[in-house]
Amino acid sequence: MRTMLADAPRTALTMAYWGFVLYLFLPLTLMMAMSFKNAAFIAFPIGDWTFDWYLKVMQDKPFLEACAYSVLVAGLTTLAATVIGVWIAMLIATTEGRWGAVLFALACLPAVVPGMISAISLRIFISTIDMPTGTSAIVLGHTVHAVPFVVVMALTRLRSMPANLVDAARDLGADSVVAFFRVTLPYLGPAIGGGMIFCILLSIDDFVRTFFLGGYRPTLPMLIFAKVQGGMSPEINAMATLVLLVTGAVGLYAEYYTRRSRSR
Amino acid sequence: MDPVVQFQNVTKAYGQAVAVDDLNLTIQAGKFVTLLGPSGCGKSTTLRMLGGFEIPNSGRILLAGKDVTRLPPNKRNVNIVFQDYALFPHMNVARNIAFGLELKGLDSSAIHKRVMELLALVQLQDYAARMPSELSGGQRQRVALMRALAPDPQVLLLDEPLSALDAKLRQQMQIELKSIQERTGKTFLFVTHDQEEALTMSDQIVVMNNGKVEQMGDPHTLYSRPQSVFVANFIGDANLLRAKVVGADAQGTALTWNGRQVGALPSAHAMKQGDSVLIVVRPEALRFLSVPSGEGFAGKIRKRVFKGNHTSMTIEVDDGSQLNALVHPGESEAISGEDVWLGWNPRAATVIRDESAAG
Repeated sequence: MRTMLADAPRTALTMAYWGFVLYLFLPLTLMMAMSFKNAAFIAFPIGDWTFDWYLKVMQDKPFLEACAYSVLVAGLTTLAATVIGVWIAMLIATTEGRWGAVLFALACLPAVVPGMISAISLRIFISTIDMPTGTSAIVLGHTVHAVPFVVVMALTRLRSMPANLVDAARDLGADSVVAFFRVTLPYLGPAIGGGMIFCILLSIDDFVRTFFLGGYRPTLPMLIFAKVQGGMSPEINAMATLVLLVTGAVGLYAEYYTRRSRSR
Repeated sequence: MDPVVQFQNVTKAYGQAVAVDDLNLTIQAGKFVTLLGPSGCGKSTTLRMLGGFEIPNSGRILLAGKDVTRLPPNKRNVNIVFQDYALFPHMNVARNIAFGLELKGLDSSAIHKRVMELLALVQLQDYAARMPSELSGGQRQRVALMRALAPDPQVLLLDEPLSALDAKLRQQMQIELKSIQERTGKTFLFVTHDQEEALTMSDQIVVMNNGKVEQMGDPHTLYSRPQSVFVANFIGDANLLRAKVVGADAQGTALTWNGRQVGALPSAHAMKQGDSVLIVVRPEALRFLSVPSGEGFAGKIRKRVFKGNHTSMTIEVDDGSQLNALVHPGESEAISGEDVWLGWNPRAATVIRDESAAG
């Protein structure tokens, strides 16, 4: 009895945890389940099960085009954000004292500015400089948002790097550029890999900035949004399930990859 | 032959703190030279200035007669073995060693040949494909050494490279380092705070204190003829006895200590009658005399500690001061509290200026 009483807080914590997990996964599970329903509207009971919605989605040209467009935008964003982010991280790591903290705070700011505010200000900005909405504007917006995540990941890794490594490279005849590409960059590898996957996920997931900065070509979230406005159907569930599975797999792999590399 | 390294009036300060103070130092090629001193004495700064990682505030550094004072590290032909080895974690052993060779522009077959030669020198041929994380501390040490030797530097700099190893391995590496130095004929400049390490390996020891050279010489000279209290205390143990000079010539110094006539080697400094000096007597130079004699003095054993191959004794003499003696087995069976009669051979004692009296 004593032990059960002593364990009461722990039991409560455990139950709260599983309650949270249920709350997290129940809607997702429902969504996935409905994607297999052999009927045009979403409600219980499911009755007949079918893969038809998936077949339909896979042959849906606008869907595939939106996927390709999202991947293109994500790729360009990741490229730009990684180069800029690593650059900024190097700058912060080599800046002593208070200025380093200031630079870090500035670099992280885009991550905490509300998406809506950032989207509107970017929209006003691009019209001011006469930049058309479309791919370059979207990539610009996504990059601003993604850079802080790359900075934080690269900086964490840089701070764990023994200072002697670069000294050793310089000592053995490398100038600072060679030392960066042959020693610092490979050392940052795992962090950069993780940061890039993060950039891809952030960009594919981004709706608000894309909505304000995009042209006529829809990205994946915009396409799904447009479809939802036309009425819910298990087709949308099938799309959402596919997106969930792919992004989930990428995210889990990123987690595994950074853990494995860090333990080395 | 030209000296391989020359420091000429080199000073390095960080703000108000002077790390190296008007240093003059000449190092001959092919020698194992050790910079020895307590932490903060400027020995590591000296090494880093030669490596190109610190620029002196004033003075010149010459490498084989060429002024390198302001050259960046990659433009000077010296290499460092870092304290924590600083092996590149993403490269295997062979690629770590090849790093400096690739930057020199050697072709790949020449690089391979040189890497294998170097690995053979430390019996690590089978480890070429291993990653640094898969090596023991001693193996990493050897790889770091070979990586620094690979580009054939004019001087190899070693920054306390043995301090991360356990005692047994450290002794083994001391012997190995010395043997590698002899086989390669390279000039080694080794930095340490460990006097035993310095005595074991060096041809020349440079004792540093407060950014200055206290004394420079071969290990035997430094141990037997220290020229300052600092050197006497830093290298080995020393009994320092306050005495007055009676007379000095090239044969030796005559002194009075506690009212007795005692002798010591001639001093490096000019001495005249009446000077206050300190006599340095190493613990092992104290001798137990079987019968009271005119040369010796009386003492009482206060402490006796058995240390295996020797016994350490603390002996109180009649003016109340305490002396340390190191006694080999069979030399004396005297026990604690016993009265003994002691003396020292004048050829095993040396005289230094009493800096506190000179004021």
